[in-house]
Amino acid sequence: MNVVVCVKQVPDTSDPDVEVHIDSSGKGVDESKFSFVINDADNYAVEEAILLKEKHEGEVTVVNIGPEAANQVVRMALAKGGDQAIRLDDERFAFSDITATARLLASAIGDLEFDIVMTGCIASDDGYSAVGVTLAQMLDLPHAAMVKSVEVIGDNKLKVGRELEGGLLEMLEIETPCVLTIQTGINEPRYASFKGIRAASKKEIKVMDLEATGLSEDQVGEAGSTAVMVEYSVPVVGELAEILEGDAAETSVKLSGILKEKGLV
Amino acid sequence: MNIEHGTFVEKYDLLGCIQCGRCTGGCPVTVRTDLNVRLFVYETVDDDRLEALSEKHEIWDCTTCNNCALRCPKGLDPFEVLLGLRSMQVEEGNIEPTAISALESVFNNGNPWGKPRALRCNWMEDIEGVEKVRILEKGEKADVLIHTCCTACYDPRIIPLARNLVRVMEKAGVDYGFIGEEETDCGSEVRRLGEEGLFEMLDEDNTELFDAYDSGRIVCLSPHCYNTFKNECENIKTPVLHYTELVAEIIREGKLELTGEIDSKVVYHDPCYLGKKNKVFDEPRYILGRIPGIELMEFNQSREISLCCEGGGGKMWVESESKEQRLSETRILDAKEMGADIVAVACPFCLLTLEDALKAKGFDEEMRVADILELLGESI
Amino acid sequence: MHDIFVLAEHREGELREVTLEILTLAGQLAEQSGGKVTAVLLGSGIDEYAGKCASFADRVLVVDDPMYKDYNSAAYQQALVELIKAEKPHLVLIGNTGQGVDLAPSLAVELDVPYTSDVVSVTLEGDKPVATRQYYGGKIDGRIEFKDADVYVLAIREASTPAGEGGKSGEIQKIDNPVTTEVTVRKFLEYVEAAIGEVDITQSTMLVSVGRGIRDEKNMPIMEELAEAMGADLSASRAVVDAGWLPTDRQVGISGKTVSPKLYLAVGISGAFQHVTGIKGADVVVAINKDPDAPIFQYADYGIVDDLLKVVPALTEKIKEMKG
Ligand SMILES: Cc1cc2nc3c(=O)[nH]c(=O)nc-3n(C[C@H](O)[C@H](O)[C@H](O)COP(=O)(O)OP(=O)(O)OC[C@H]3O[C@@H](n4cnc5c(N)ncnc54)[C@H](O)[C@@H]3O)c2cc1C
Repeated sequence: MNVVVCVKQVPDTSDPDVEVHIDSSGKGVDESKFSFVINDADNYAVEEAILLKEKHEGEVTVVNIGPEAANQVVRMALAKGGDQAIRLDDERFAFSDITATARLLASAIGDLEFDIVMTGCIASDDGYSAVGVTLAQMLDLPHAAMVKSVEVIGDNKLKVGRELEGGLLEMLEIETPCVLTIQTGINEPRYASFKGIRAASKKEIKVMDLEATGLSEDQVGEAGSTAVMVEYSVPVVGELAEILEGDAAETSVKLSGILKEKGLV
Repeated sequence: MNIEHGTFVEKYDLLGCIQCGRCTGGCPVTVRTDLNVRLFVYETVDDDRLEALSEKHEIWDCTTCNNCALRCPKGLDPFEVLLGLRSMQVEEGNIEPTAISALESVFNNGNPWGKPRALRCNWMEDIEGVEKVRILEKGEKADVLIHTCCTACYDPRIIPLARNLVRVMEKAGVDYGFIGEEETDCGSEVRRLGEEGLFEMLDEDNTELFDAYDSGRIVCLSPHCYNTFKNECENIKTPVLHYTELVAEIIREGKLELTGEIDSKVVYHDPCYLGKKNKVFDEPRYILGRIPGIELMEFNQSREISLCCEGGGGKMWVESESKEQRLSETRILDAKEMGADIVAVACPFCLLTLEDALKAKGFDEEMRVADILELLGESI
Repeated sequence: MHDIFVLAEHREGELREVTLEILTLAGQLAEQSGGKVTAVLLGSGIDEYAGKCASFADRVLVVDDPMYKDYNSAAYQQALVELIKAEKPHLVLIGNTGQGVDLAPSLAVELDVPYTSDVVSVTLEGDKPVATRQYYGGKIDGRIEFKDADVYVLAIREASTPAGEGGKSGEIQKIDNPVTTEVTVRKFLEYVEAAIGEVDITQSTMLVSVGRGIRDEKNMPIMEELAEAMGADLSASRAVVDAGWLPTDRQVGISGKTVSPKLYLAVGISGAFQHVTGIKGADVVVAINKDPDAPIFQYADYGIVDDLLKVVPALTEKIKEMKG
């Protein structure tokens, strides 16, 4: 069973104290103070790919779109058990939307021999939840999104569970080759030790630029995008908690109202 | 994992062990867990058993308090064997998710708390009576280079310790300075969680960082950083002190006057990494003795036989399964029985664990836990 | 043409609320553009949903076929492609839900039209939609503009537009199943509920978290009732786990679990650093604490400063009332 797993390097902005500042172009953010990590859901995808390899043999290929600094997350995936890697890197890839991003991945993955392509189900920076499923259609393969369990049940058949709202699992059968977008919590990602990551730098990371992808300039980056993020803005939110005033009867009415409005009850 | 034949035996001098059992006999966590360190020393002689031994959960119960090493008649460090076993699990990638988060954060952010490096110096803002905390340029000269400790940079409960240390330095007119955002994790907990490779990287980074300044001495806020820089980073040539050593010195030299009275019975709890590990027993007591109003008391278990609070050894991130009373609670009950008003400590981890125990016991109205730096802050 | 298609979403015998929300949004947009709103309903034995959709739409297009009894993106996609090609709506709105994210992106690729996801608001500028969506976990908003196209597909975030009152009486139009061959690449099997008793708080979408402020084990039932009323799981600070009032696997924090629920309701929790490190991923944090200076309020979006023994039962009542 050969698995291709797509990993993205993202800034870790989850801490409430981390501020995100828009840069002068209005289309980017100041990344100089960020620390970069593997996208959370992709971390689970890597683990799932390696678990499948350990159980059913085969190889794991790691694919990334990113600058040289993204080698860090690629090496981490290699240290955990990935066999080889491809990194798509070209300035002209910047500002790619969902479609252009998926097209890039398809150009690198299309020629590989694989049974499953895995991606994380969502990236924490852009929140698209779409690249994996877009990629599937471009490769003309069946897909399942938000996958929370994977079981091999035949030569070219998987049984997978998709996580829906409220923790409900939708169980389905899917033919391979296919694309699965992996939900967090599907497994417990292992640790890649520092020595392991160092050792993994011996494994090959093939770098592909625009020419190597065989795509044209107007198929990638902003030119190749159809839904373009044109301007960032800062939402207005309070710094401190909004304190709900009144006695218990009043505050509970207020709070339940807020929860309803936010779709939380 | 392949452990080269005889590596363990040699590295930890296992054949030097006479199996007297003094290590386990003095091990404080045996009242809560099944850990038997003597047995581990015995069994790790057999290379073929290492794998299985490293999978035992008890190896994570050790707080690395150094008691076993102190009691060993052959001068061995029995607990180090447990760290060796932990590192086997780390290489397998097989550790608690909480420990994974801490280690990945050290690698990515230079601190185990998942906090961005860019916020490392936020604690320095608006300190009473201090115009601007001095951050050194590379190559700049200062008598004292202070290493803050990740916990004191980010944990709002511990931040006041760092702020008080600055106040003390300013008040006494010490020529001090900080590294700033580039300051990084000391590696103490990293090594104790078994991540040897990452520790080596931090060792190199810190050595290089300290070399970049022209400072006479490095002063650490936490005994854990202090111990690491002093004893484990072999290439750091600058003398390393704990803050209690420096403060005791400046009080002796008459540079710091303590005037504010603290009318309380105070019992001092020796942090393992300051006391048992580095034999700094007198300076903290000397400082406390100089604060007006303090009546200093002693625990039955003090100095070399001080009871561990269970905050070190990576235990911040790896909880014991035991439901028996925490050692920190035992300690608080002792203090309560003695009639102490304040349990004084000189370590961020001790402060956190003991204060938590105090709340758990419901004594927070009548007693408190305070770091010596907080008491100094009240007294200057 | 300015018509808007909204894909109705149903599951296990229920029309999902998100359908009415998006129909409401579509209604607002259609008012502006002068187009019509069509609810597209694929299912089997779905007359009741058709009726409901009709009061929010100008027309309900119903394909009633056993093929769509349960959701299957492969079958849904084929049907939608045919319907969209035939009817040429200007906008296709789909929920950014477990079903929607499994369908909308590939649908857009097959139609070769622009797509974006998790949209929190849409406006029309001239003829074209402009979408707002969030980046960096909601810290930044982004404006999405589309390249010119005949059709745009947008996945809309749940609860971003409250469902209106309805009141329309759209025409219900039953049509033949446009998909004539069986779909084999992907087959629905069954829905499986998460096993009860086996709570994994790292996966919970709603958490009610208990701290030492609860003071006594005998007060725990009020927390259980609140959690149950809200459909939330119970988690705790270490203090409560240490006391043995909840099992170890419910502990949130550096030596417990890191959680990322949509709602984290912290009750009687002070907000120690070792605790709040574990709730970084929470979307909305609400704190109930009697101490106005408790650090937890620095992490919370909403706070109530009061005795939890008073607030919690009152809140439970209110939520039960609201849920009917
Ligand atoms: C090594 C180590 C690891 C740790 N790991 C974790 C961890 O993983 N997770 C964790 O949670 N903690 C952890 N801690 C403990 C942490 O430091 C805090 O002590 C703990 O989180 C406090 O729990 P609490 O907020 O429930 O209790 P407290 O801090 O005692 O707070 C109780 C709160 O309840 C409020 N209150 C009291 N009565 C009422 C009432 N009637 N109505 C409303 N409010 C009321 C009070 O105002 C107070 O704010 C760790 C500590 C150490 C030392």
